[in-house]
Amino acid sequence: MMRTPISRRSTLLGTLAVGATALARQAIAQEGPIRLGALVPLTGAGGPYGPNMAKAAKLVVDQVNAAGGILGRKLELTVVDDQSNPDAGVRAARQLIEVNKVAAIIGTWASSVTTAVAPLCWESKTFLTTTSGADSITLLPHDGYLIRTQPNTMLQGQKFGQFALEKGGKKVFFLSPQTPFFQSEMDAITKVVKAAGGDTASLVYDDQKPSYRSEIDTMLRYAPDALILGGYTPDTIVVLKDLFRAGFKGAKIGFGYAINQKLLDSVPASVAEGCYTLAPSPAEGSAAYTGLVKAIGIANPDPYTIQVYDQTNLVVLAMAQGGEATGTGIRNNVRKVSQAPGGAVVVNALDGLKAIAAKQAIAYDGASGPCKFTDRGDIQDSKFRYEQVQGGKITLLKID
Amino acid sequence: MLSYAIATLVSGGVYAILALSLNLAWGGAGMVNLGLGGFFAIGAYASAIATGAGAPFAAGLAIAVVAGVLAGLVVTFATLRLRDDYLAIVTLGFGEVIRLVALNERWLTNGADGLSGIRAPLKPELGLFGFNLFYLGLTTLAALVILLGLQRLDRSPYGRALRAVREDPELARFAGKNVLRFKFEAFALSAAIAGLAGALYAHFQSYVSPDLFAPLITIYIFLAVTAGGVGRPLGALVGGYAVMAFLEAARMAVGYLPGLEPVQLASVQGMLTGLALLLILRLRPQGMLPERIRPAPATP
Repeated sequence: MMRTPISRRSTLLGTLAVGATALARQAIAQEGPIRLGALVPLTGAGGPYGPNMAKAAKLVVDQVNAAGGILGRKLELTVVDDQSNPDAGVRAARQLIEVNKVAAIIGTWASSVTTAVAPLCWESKTFLTTTSGADSITLLPHDGYLIRTQPNTMLQGQKFGQFALEKGGKKVFFLSPQTPFFQSEMDAITKVVKAAGGDTASLVYDDQKPSYRSEIDTMLRYAPDALILGGYTPDTIVVLKDLFRAGFKGAKIGFGYAINQKLLDSVPASVAEGCYTLAPSPAEGSAAYTGLVKAIGIANPDPYTIQVYDQTNLVVLAMAQGGEATGTGIRNNVRKVSQAPGGAVVVNALDGLKAIAAKQAIAYDGASGPCKFTDRGDIQDSKFRYEQVQGGKITLLKID
Repeated sequence: MLSYAIATLVSGGVYAILALSLNLAWGGAGMVNLGLGGFFAIGAYASAIATGAGAPFAAGLAIAVVAGVLAGLVVTFATLRLRDDYLAIVTLGFGEVIRLVALNERWLTNGADGLSGIRAPLKPELGLFGFNLFYLGLTTLAALVILLGLQRLDRSPYGRALRAVREDPELARFAGKNVLRFKFEAFALSAAIAGLAGALYAHFQSYVSPDLFAPLITIYIFLAVTAGGVGRPLGALVGGYAVMAFLEAARMAVGYLPGLEPVQLASVQGMLTGLALLLILRLRPQGMLPERIRPAPATP
């Protein structure tokens, strides 16, 4: 038998050498760039939003890097696609956490993706910022490793109910696809409308159908004077067309993200005329918003893009504040940069970094709103903007 | 990195078990099942609901298997007169029905919110890494046991009869085989395996929601069986792992392409998947490990 030239001693030495290299590489990793991940829906149902969300995150990272980075290190952003699907989202998140070793994952959109990814984040002490609206998300045992910039759906339902009353609605109908937030929203609407002596009813539809005539017939039998549409753009287009055919005359109120320019472009003008829309209002006209629009080069960025901009700013500032580029560091410091009592108002990461360097307390005031968080990770307050389609154009009624 | 590799192997194992399930119904009995995602969902929800109500993990797995069998029998019964494309369309519809039920029956499935916090067996005792390792062992073992069982089935007279049913049911009936019984049994067994895969998946991810069971996953498994070799269990197993490796590699590889926007990279990723399928069908339509049909042993 041939003797192999590998002795026990050389094996031992070899193992040590490999181990030492691994350790050295880890040491380098500590000194290398600070890694952040953007997990956004580039394809699938969230496809219309994801690309700009990625741009917003990249924008902040580029700005900060151009100014020299933070903690003496550059930022490195990895953007991956969650395909708006929790299975793909979980696999992509594992890559970000285990392979790219990111300190934070920014931007998850679909509620199911967020709920699937959140446990991976809190178990690995990675910080997660999300734009998902489902109320259940902040109720997960996330131990502080999660914040969201989207107002939760109870708040939205309340505003819908109040607005329907304002438009003379005594019998309010809620027509919505099955979403994680249908029930909580309906409860909130009903509470507000019943308190004013009105009445509500609802119908859940399947958002993939080519026609909603039977649903609309059911709705008309109730004879509502205000109709709240809970869908997204594609199904709302079909619903509006069928409403027009059925000659519905009551007030139509929908989400701002559903009744948008894209919808107006794809239906005849008379179909959408008079529709009201309601949306958590970006702080339009605020310094942060103007700064974002100028830097990103998109005239009317959607709410998710604006939120991702705020989330990235907050993550960067929290790391700088705590002097620690880890998920735990962000968790412990994010509220110190978003809502420090008496803090100086800052509207972007660069100003914030200067203030932190000058040992000033700061309170970030975002493009999506004030960005103040509760202990569970929800935002405390949000303004809403009310608009109406007038003469084929979306016209602002009020921001409240 | 190691945890990532382990988690990917677990996901690969689940895909491999699903591929074995599809291969039994499609490759074995010639019943095209486009509703595979539905059976996967039934297993996942059955086990999640059962363990949520206090049943132990092992019982959850068993309940998932039983639920799969029942669903399989119902679907076979509803499609007795259908073959090929028609069966494919009906099973596709079945998958959608299951997804819609999961979406709308909030009292049972918690609707679009999904079920979170599904019990992960032994996780507190083993810790995060230990649990992942344990689960890798469990999933791999399940895949191997199913593989060996199906290979044994293939070599048996039963397997040969099943192939006869696939090739020509009329002829099989003429030869005295109870075609209906073979179809029922093969489809129910296949559904049971898919249900088991669903349960394994649910307890690993600790979360299920209707979005998980979009037709996409069924398409990936068809890709896996096609790539591995229709009609051969080992091919399906290898195909399942190969598809998972491909999906992961494609996502990481596009990250290194310079000069493209993230949304373009995501499209390249999708195109790569399509291209891979085209190349397999063009260059090796029989798959990596094509079916082998052994002659029956000579009777003395």
